Amino acid sequence: MKKKILSVLLAGAMTAGMLAGCGGSGSKGGEIKIWVADNVVDFTKEKAESFLASDDQYKGWTVTVEAVGEGDAAGNMITDVTAGADIYGFAQDQIARLVAAGALVEVEASNASKVESANAAGVVNAAKVGSKLYAYPMTADNGYFLYYDKSVISDPSTLEGIIADCEAAGKNFYMDFGGWYQTAFFFGTGCTLTYDTDDAGNFTACNMDYDSDKGLAALKAMVQLASSSSFQQGSSAGDAVNYAAIVDGTWDAGVIQETLGDNYACAKLPTFTVDGQTYQMSGFNGCKLLGVKPQESEDKLAVCDALADYLTSEEVQLARYNAVGWGPSNIAAQNSDAVKADPALSALAEQFAYTIPQGNYPGDYWSLAESLRDSVIGEYQGADDATLQAALKSFQDSCMSYAQ
Amino acid sequence: MANSESKAKKSPVGDFFRALGSDCREIGTTWAEGDGKTKLSFLIFGIGPILRGRALVGALHLALEILLIAFIAGFGWQYFSKLLTLGTVETNASGRVTTYGDNSFLILLFGLLTLCALAALIFVWRMNVRENRTEELLLKDGKKLPDNHTDFLSLFDSHFDVTLLALPVLGVFVFTVLPIIFMICVAFTNYDATHQAPSKLFTWVGLKNFRDLFSFGQDGFGSTFLTVLAWTLVWAFFATFLCYFLGIAVAMLINKKGIRFKKLWRTILVMTIAVPQFVSLLYVGKLFAPDGLINGTLLKWGLIRSALPFWTNPMWARITIIVVNIWIGIPYMMLIATGLLMNIPEDLYESARIDGATPWQMFRSITLPYMLFVTGPFLLTQFTGNLNNFNVIFLLNQGNPKSMGMVGGAGGTDLLVTWLYKMTINDTNYKMAAVIGIMVFIVTAVISLVVYQMLPSVKDEEGFQ
Repeated sequence: MKKKILSVLLAGAMTAGMLAGCGGSGSKGGEIKIWVADNVVDFTKEKAESFLASDDQYKGWTVTVEAVGEGDAAGNMITDVTAGADIYGFAQDQIARLVAAGALVEVEASNASKVESANAAGVVNAAKVGSKLYAYPMTADNGYFLYYDKSVISDPSTLEGIIADCEAAGKNFYMDFGGWYQTAFFFGTGCTLTYDTDDAGNFTACNMDYDSDKGLAALKAMVQLASSSSFQQGSSAGDAVNYAAIVDGTWDAGVIQETLGDNYACAKLPTFTVDGQTYQMSGFNGCKLLGVKPQESEDKLAVCDALADYLTSEEVQLARYNAVGWGPSNIAAQNSDAVKADPALSALAEQFAYTIPQGNYPGDYWSLAESLRDSVIGEYQGADDATLQAALKSFQDSCMSYAQ
Repeated sequence: MANSESKAKKSPVGDFFRALGSDCREIGTTWAEGDGKTKLSFLIFGIGPILRGRALVGALHLALEILLIAFIAGFGWQYFSKLLTLGTVETNASGRVTTYGDNSFLILLFGLLTLCALAALIFVWRMNVRENRTEELLLKDGKKLPDNHTDFLSLFDSHFDVTLLALPVLGVFVFTVLPIIFMICVAFTNYDATHQAPSKLFTWVGLKNFRDLFSFGQDGFGSTFLTVLAWTLVWAFFATFLCYFLGIAVAMLINKKGIRFKKLWRTILVMTIAVPQFVSLLYVGKLFAPDGLINGTLLKWGLIRSALPFWTNPMWARITIIVVNIWIGIPYMMLIATGLLMNIPEDLYESARIDGATPWQMFRSITLPYMLFVTGPFLLTQFTGNLNNFNVIFLLNQGNPKSMGMVGGAGGTDLLVTWLYKMTINDTNYKMAAVIGIMVFIVTAVISLVVYQMLPSVKDEEGFQ
């Protein structure tokens, strides 16, 4: 008896929970849940509330802002779309996965053209899947460049010079070899790696030529760099020790500035030389996006649209830069004096000229790239060209197989 | 004794069908010999007992029937009816408004729950039929049926086990049995990153995932699975036995007569237990990193020219992990062994010494058999625990280094469980993770059962009495 009552209660509670998840349908007003990174929770809450209070048509709507990092947001949304946030920030490389899982709704047509013209072109491309705009660009600071110690590195323009200075001083040079950073070498030698997606977020084709002389040059450069006693795998300044140079992004600027003090300096990524030929390091540039979840109520969708649009407007992007230092994607905000005076953002802007806007990559690519990373540091040390070429072929074959 | 042996020889399948047959015969007899009340009970549970004056028992059966049917018809059926396809209605986006279609995840979950409810309904029906039969037989013998008051009191006396176990059994079912059945079912579906409920449907694919696991092509899981499985077994072996023997050795060393400051040595070793394991493991993981304290110091002293690949070379990483595990494992074993060693009768050693046995002979013939006998079951649980020792591996180096030679993001020191974790968390590959989960169960179960049968303490229970 007890058994059955409980199971009915449990089942009832589950359904009630699900219904509550879709809440607000039908009635005017309700709650909008927003997920953003921990350090902008208060900022976002304040901006969103002032926006909803600014106009009578948003009466009855309230926001709750929860701290969910851009890296976790996609995973959490996909695990349970119905219980996920209505508006959420995420890193652009997650967009295809989110669209494929049905966790993103297209940007409304009237907003879309406005968003496309106000933001930097590369960022807009990153917010698209197929030809449709699925998210609002929030920042354009997702890229990496060189931080270095002025007192150790005399010339930050060549990798060989940096390594020589580091080895002489007994200092470390940090660079991650994962999927995001290794493209600095591959794209640097002229390789390409992009995926085509259809409008539903499925990967339809892989454009890749790593299995070539260019790819071999890049891989050899990585193996060579990894053989240096100064080289350390990793690009997280918080975990790095005893470094004179580190390839990292703007998010770690504060930590590095504190460590290097007066010797703190930033530059674009250096050049590297393989078999007598010199290449400029390239890489991805990327951004953070704000997405809206598919809704069952049109009223709620309209409020979510307006709110997401406002939270990524020029005004709020500039305010966000001033509050937490996130580099804006809005063209007008990028050209403001405050943003231009930031050394890290300037170095990033300089590096952006050599980089490729990061499109959509299947989750499997990132896992596979980590395998390549560990192999370069470990088993490929001292390997001959044939082994490396075979590795590139296997890497390329696997990447190709992720697109159907 | 002879009786139970002959029983054990019968096949369990045969037993099952024999029981089913006799059950059916009994139901038939109940119907054929039953009165109107009994026959009515076949449809309306518990009406027989109610009419015979046992309202409590009858009402209980009736209430269960109503509840179960209400649950199945009112809630469960919509899911259960789609269990074979796991849903066919796709999620539809018309314009910018989304209408969700079938949710395969909920269909599978609630479908299974409904299946269990159906089984429960049949079970209650069977109990109800048997109840009627028992009552009729009692009445036929001219005996009186127990009244409601007695029935109620029996819940706290002869049926107290039912009262006590009702809640735990329900909890075990909802939080353990149902999820396990669900996970096993997932292994036979295509539930992965491209088939995510509620927007996408997933469906049954039969044994395809298992065939993938044992396919040895370039992208097949076969070779990776065997590598990971082999390392899992090697790891469990070394982690268990090295800690075991070294722990005993340390305990014997400290126990030795003439060793001074015994308590000090024990305290020093036990200090590793005092610090929470995950803290010390994360710390040690950092210690051995290419830019960690050990490499940094050795480089500074000029003893090495480039960092030692503790975590970047698979073989180094495996050895490092086993060695670090010895460091955390020894204190536990030492504590256990200290107590046990003191328990071995001293006269055994004395007579051995008089006969001129060497210390090694005494260890081989007295200490070791005794230890193995007493700690056999403990060793087995340690071994199975180590097969699934997520903490040590994941906190030390996350199963890295990965390799281009392995698929599914597996690394050189990944155990089956850590690989499973990576598949679920990083790649949302639930179907393969479920398959690996089943494999972990098979490996653990086979080893446990086989070794358990071989244990001296099981084979010869009175060996050291």
